[in-house]
Amino acid sequence: MIRLDRISKTFGTRPALHELSLDIPQGRIFGLLGHNGAGKSTTFGMILGQVHPTTGTAYIRDISVQDHRMRALQGVGAIFETPAFYDYLSGWTNLRILTSYTRRLPDAELRETVNFVGLEKRIHDPVRVYSHGMRQRLALAQALLPRPELVLLDEPAEGLDPEGIHEMRHLILRLNRERGMTVILSSHLLAEVEQLCDCIAVLNQGRMIFHGNWTDLKAESVRYELDLEPWDSAAALIAARTDCSLTPDRMLTIAPSHDVADVVAALVNAGIKVRAVSPVRQTLEQVYLELVGTPRETVTQ
Amino acid sequence: MPLFLTQLKFELLKMFARKRTYIGFAAFLLMECVILMICNLRGPQMALRRLIEQNGYGADEYFSGFTLALMIVHWTSTLLGSLYLALIAGDLMAKEVEDGTMRMLLCRPISRLRVTTLKYLSSIVYTFVLIAFIGLTAMLAGLAYRAPGGLFVYFPEDHVFALIAPERALRMYLLGMPLLALSMVSISSIGFLFSCCNMKPAAASIVTLSVIFVDFIFHGIPYFESLKVFFINTHLTAWVQLYQAHPPIWKMAEDYCYLLGLDFTCLIVGSAIFLQRDLK
Repeated sequence: MIRLDRISKTFGTRPALHELSLDIPQGRIFGLLGHNGAGKSTTFGMILGQVHPTTGTAYIRDISVQDHRMRALQGVGAIFETPAFYDYLSGWTNLRILTSYTRRLPDAELRETVNFVGLEKRIHDPVRVYSHGMRQRLALAQALLPRPELVLLDEPAEGLDPEGIHEMRHLILRLNRERGMTVILSSHLLAEVEQLCDCIAVLNQGRMIFHGNWTDLKAESVRYELDLEPWDSAAALIAARTDCSLTPDRMLTIAPSHDVADVVAALVNAGIKVRAVSPVRQTLEQVYLELVGTPRETVTQ
Repeated sequence: MPLFLTQLKFELLKMFARKRTYIGFAAFLLMECVILMICNLRGPQMALRRLIEQNGYGADEYFSGFTLALMIVHWTSTLLGSLYLALIAGDLMAKEVEDGTMRMLLCRPISRLRVTTLKYLSSIVYTFVLIAFIGLTAMLAGLAYRAPGGLFVYFPEDHVFALIAPERALRMYLLGMPLLALSMVSISSIGFLFSCCNMKPAAASIVTLSVIFVDFIFHGIPYFESLKVFFINTHLTAWVQLYQAHPPIWKMAEDYCYLLGLDFTCLIVGSAIFLQRDLK
């Protein structure tokens, strides 16, 4: 669906993106992650033809964005971190204006999309009275008109309250499942990306350091956080076993195809008080922080 | 073509739906009232009457509503027209880029050249609407104060002195308005050019006004007399030549060719600059 072919961008003397090559298949929800200034917005900009790459080309459906931008952007919708509208006009008029740059759309199609994003009661109010959540929904509405195959979402949940984040997440899932849309998502909310995407790319200082299914990076071994006493006796017993080990941060690692129940039974039989054994799930945040080289703290499920 | 016209319609809607557009129109009305009040003063009235009578014509016949209206149009467009058009034109591209709406717009499969063309055309329409507004309101104000009659035209800086018979006054007055608008389009064009550059809307307006002002100053310096043909202000006042007893049609055509060439250059260069910009 989208292919970035060794795309680089330098602003003046500052390199923003270095030879990024990426292939995003159709029908997926793809996450683009990275720190502030990693090059995510620059990548979006080059996909949409709003930023000219220093080298390389972006393709949408094998059409070069740099050479045939208008054709490439047929069937593409996008939403930016801070969606901007003509505040003195109504939401409906804003949609009419923005969609006129694609093609004429019947009112019924606009109404259907407005209902989909849940703005039907306020669509004729001026945008200046909209809350942030309503603006995000209006932004999503304009991105969905007319029925794109690909939607680029740059921080779609930015500034939303928990209900808004929940709603946005479900809207995105519906777009992918009901309409088969390819969604490229850029977000700092790793918990959201974790729920939406299994395929991600991670940018760090303008370079891609990971591309693929992040679940592949999860630790193979299962880990557990232990609350027991006395610790020294337990540590000595665990050290003598071959089916488990203790990490420096006091996590019990069970080797694959072995059962934590066996270890717990051995500890109890040795007179050690076992108060809690809590499985530790490795999150996308932990995977991400490991990738970018930041020490992690474990999260107990 | 129908989609282009729809897009142009929405550009005009964006422009005319803003309240501040009408604040500007109100400012012009206020200026017209001020000029009318000045013309109502004894001193200026007597001076005007003397000018007309010295040439053997009746002051009552030629100190008419149309004469007042033309004076109001001339002074309003000179004092406020450049300022206001520079403000509007400076906002054309730069404001949308600053507000972020340009990025929303360019997510669509529309070429940047079309965007600049639509914006430029909307500025031309706006210029004509503004001059039509000034012309109409000035005429109403003038006719409310003085009866219709002949048209006395006196622009000494442009060497124009004419007395137009009452039966032709309205026609000549109205003919002058589109020509004035065509001249003012050049100010909008310069504003558009700077608006396409990577600068704030206010900066684009200020640079536009600076260009016009510096041009005006140099235009008035005797040392640059031989270079006058290259100054914008030399050609901006081509419209007043219409009121000569024998309008110099070829000279006027030459002036407007210069202005149209300037307009076209501003459009092309502005569009080229905008096409190359990164919008981030």
